[in-house]
Parts: sequence; structure tokens; C-alpha cells
Amino acid sequence: MPLIIYDFAKQEAEVALNSGMPGLRIQYFRGPVWAKTNEQLKKQIVEGNNPITGKPVMPELVEKLTKPLTAVEKKTGEIKRDKGQLTYTGTPDELQQMFLDKRYTDFMPVILPTEEKVAEMLKATSHNPDDMLGKMNPGSEAGDNWTYTVKDAAINAVMAGARPEYFPVILAIGSTGHPGVNVSDNGFMSGAVINGPIRDEIKLNYEIGAVGPYAQANTTIGRAWNLLSINGGNCGKVGTTYMGTVGNAMNAINVIIAENERDSPFKPLSVRRGFKENENVVTLFAGWGILSAKDWKVDVWGPNMDYPQIIKDIYNQQDAMFGTIAVLSPPIARFVADAGYDTAEKFTEWVMQSANPAAAAAPPARGPAGTQGLPPAGRFSGGGPVFTVVVTGGSNNNYWCMGGMRPQQAVQIDKWR
Amino acid sequence: MKLRVAVIAILCTGLCCSFSFNNQAYAQAKKKTPANQPVIMQKITVLNPMGTPPPITLIPQAPRLDTLDGKTIYFVNTGYIGTDRLMEVMSDWFKANYPKTNVVVKKSAGGMTGVDKALWAEIGEKGDAAIVGLGH
Repeated sequence: MPLIIYDFAKQEAEVALNSGMPGLRIQYFRGPVWAKTNEQLKKQIVEGNNPITGKPVMPELVEKLTKPLTAVEKKTGEIKRDKGQLTYTGTPDELQQMFLDKRYTDFMPVILPTEEKVAEMLKATSHNPDDMLGKMNPGSEAGDNWTYTVKDAAINAVMAGARPEYFPVILAIGSTGHPGVNVSDNGFMSGAVINGPIRDEIKLNYEIGAVGPYAQANTTIGRAWNLLSINGGNCGKVGTTYMGTVGNAMNAINVIIAENERDSPFKPLSVRRGFKENENVVTLFAGWGILSAKDWKVDVWGPNMDYPQIIKDIYNQQDAMFGTIAVLSPPIARFVADAGYDTAEKFTEWVMQSANPAAAAAPPARGPAGTQGLPPAGRFSGGGPVFTVVVTGGSNNNYWCMGGMRPQQAVQIDKWR
Repeated sequence: MKLRVAVIAILCTGLCCSFSFNNQAYAQAKKKTPANQPVIMQKITVLNPMGTPPPITLIPQAPRLDTLDGKTIYFVNTGYIGTDRLMEVMSDWFKANYPKTNVVVKKSAGGMTGVDKALWAEIGEKGDAAIVGLGH
């Protein structure tokens, strides 16, 4: 019988159902457990009550071990499920409200997905609308894999406000099954780095404000990923498939980065990962997010800046679960190159030379090693130290971002045209 | 100076025209929809954005025990921080309140997401029930 903190009760009921055990007997209590002494655990949990039933925890646990099973608890067979009715009819206001009530949205108004708008979106791909695009779940603890078709992705892309020319990128992301919103109570985020000429073709912003919501392509591709995750992968439902204790503001549209290949002194990320020059590629990331380097390192900001060393210092203080990503603006990347690291590989090697105590204590990989394979949906690939350099943004000042984002799958975009 | 005056004049003319156009459009719209009549919004049909959940195969729960006396109960620690302490205090409670129950505390090598096959085999062979934690 599972022992679980009561805040997860709603989630566990759904997980138990998905696992074929609706009504599974679970003993709940008030947490957290972490950092409490034995005496605190005894008083608060062992001698405490289940907040849901109000009954003392331990006698209730004994009852659950000894009370005979009901007919429902012994039931076998199969429960079939589907997406429900295929269309809804109403006024635009009624439909917006209904989509909100059914939690089809990210709590912002959507472009209502009429058959005409979805057909227009589907013209941007040669793939059959009914082809299965991918399967997704919100994370390993929280559920089973839902499946979605190319047409499901088109519906969500329309809702996000995406233009048809963005659709191959959205399909490439959707084909991985990587959720935009992960269930974890840590509050993870997702990111994507886009390389190749498609950046200019669809007007992705890789200049001032590159990682923010300052271009239709960046913003709506990120939003479409989230809506597909919510609707196609059953992600992001607070209490069941989303448990971020404080949450993560980057979940709004994820972090969509088009590399500034024009102004970067380094080869594009996709080329460094084995793809050809000028190949349109999207590389996915999972992690904590990114933040201005100014907030990672204090007392170094002045007329004489050793940018490579600052980046290395920040790397050395970061957790290894998602590794470190340096999102460099072109001026900072050039400072790094001028310091003798004329390739991202040389710089990476130097940054990672010193032992990172956090990296040394990293947990073992939870998915298959490497970063270009396809790990099980909802799982993260890799583990241990990793340092990734990406160049984007404007050249109007010497600012850049750093954070924890681990590379995941990398996918060719053009095969989704 | 003359150029500046000309530019200002053109801008003002444009602004006035714009106000004039907007006022005309507003007046026309008002004419079409008298104030005392509600605007009727046309109904449209939209598509369901959901994916497809898989079918669920029901698994019956393990039979319950008629008594705890003489039975062996495993407390399985899946490794989340603090679970070792919780298992310790819970097993102490069992030892005090059910002295005829054999309590075994073990740590799962599978962690929170994997399965420790050897331990599950041991529980299957020697145990009567297992309490597994922690869902944090």
C-alpha cells in the first residue's frame, strides 16, 4: 500500500485509475517529510490524522490492510476512453468560456479552431491529418501516454495563434512527445533552440528580446507546444498532472530560442550536435530555466570584465540535474572567442575542466544516455554534467543569461513540411 | 520652418480625416443595430483539441489480511529524502502496537520510479503485505 502526502490525493486518484486500479487504497498524511526529525515525524504523522478523512493515520492504515476488498476493488476488465465529441457549436463567447471551463486553454483567450482555420494550418504539411504524430505524458509519476494526430496538433496550433508557416516546427516538437509542461513539484520548464534558414523564413526573432514574447513566431510556437501538451498529452492540470510547488513563469510560452547564427562566432548548436550546415533543426531542452547572469554573480560588474571566467564560475555553482546553459548575446560570445575560445567546443572543454562538486554528486541517468535518441515520453535523457552554449539576442549591451537546461531530442524540421 | 508647418498641417488633416472616418463608421454601425436591440452573435462550430487517452486495463487489488498477528509486513523505502526516518518511526509504532507482527524495513534499489525485482520477489516469498513510500 502506498504512503503519500495528502496534497497529491487528487493526482494519485487519477494515477491509480490510469494504472487500472481505481479506488486504490492509499494512506495519506500531512507532509512534507523532508528535513523533519524523528520526533517531529512521530508527532505530526504517526500520531497525527489523515487530513482528508480526519482519522488517525496508523489505525486507518491498519484498517486498509485488513478490511476485505469491495467488488469494485476486485474488478477486472477494460475501460475504453476517447476524446469525446469531435465538435462544439456556440457563439464565440460561449465557446471561449467552454474551452476555459474544460481546461482546453492556458487561461488566455484562444483563436477558435474552426474546420476552415484548421484546414488552412494543415496545408503547411504533407502529412496525413489522421497520422499519429506522437504520444505524451506529463512526467513519469503522473500518467499514461495519450496520443495525438497531426490534425490534433493543427487544432492546437490554430488556438495558439500560430501561422501555417510555423506548423512544421510545431509538428517537429510534437513528434518528440516531450511535454511543454512537466508534472514535477520542482516546477520544471521546457525550451527549444531552432537553427537553420527557417528562422528567417518564418521571422523568428533572434535579436533584441530573443528569448521573450516579442515575435509572433517565437511566442505562438511556444504556446502551441503548451496547448498541445495540455490537450494532447493531458499535461498542466493543477492537482493531477501539474504539481509545481511555486510554479515556473517560463511555462507560459516556454523558452523558444532562435540562434543568432549571423552574429555568432561559433557554429550553430545543431551543427555542433551532428546536423548539416543550413539544416532546419529544433533541439529541445528540459530544465529549471534561465536568468540574467547579473543575478548569478555579484561584485564582478565593472570596467574590467573576464566574461569566460564569470561563466565558468556560474557553471561551477550550478546543480547538475539539468546541467548548465549559457545563452550568450553576440557581444559576450565574441568576448569569449577573443579570449582564445574560438569554438564553442574549446570553451565548453575549458569551462568543464574543473570538478563541479554538484556534478560529481549527480544522480545516475534516468533515461538513455546521449541527447539525440528518443527517451520514453515524459522522461529526461542524460544525467551528470553538461554545459551548452547558445548564441542569441541583440548586440546593444553586454548582457546574457545562464541557467539549467539539459539538451534532449533534436529533430529535423523539414520532414514535417 | 515652412517644411515643418507643412508636415504638421498634413498630420492634422490626416488626424481629422481619421476622426471623421471613424465617426462615420460608428454612425453606420449604430444605424444598423438600434440601441434597444441586442447584437446577435452568430454560432460557429469548432473542433475538439484533445488527444486520445489509452484504454485502462483493470487490475484487482491484492487480497487483504484477516489479521496482522503472525504476519510479516515490509516497509519499503523508495529513497525520497526523509523516508528512512519516517519508516523508522512507523515501524516503531507497529512494534509497540502489534508486537505479534514481524516488521521488516528495506530500501528499494529501484528508487522512486524503478522496480527492485529482487526485493519484490523477496516480499512475494516472505511477506504478507508491503507499505511503500514515499509519494512526496
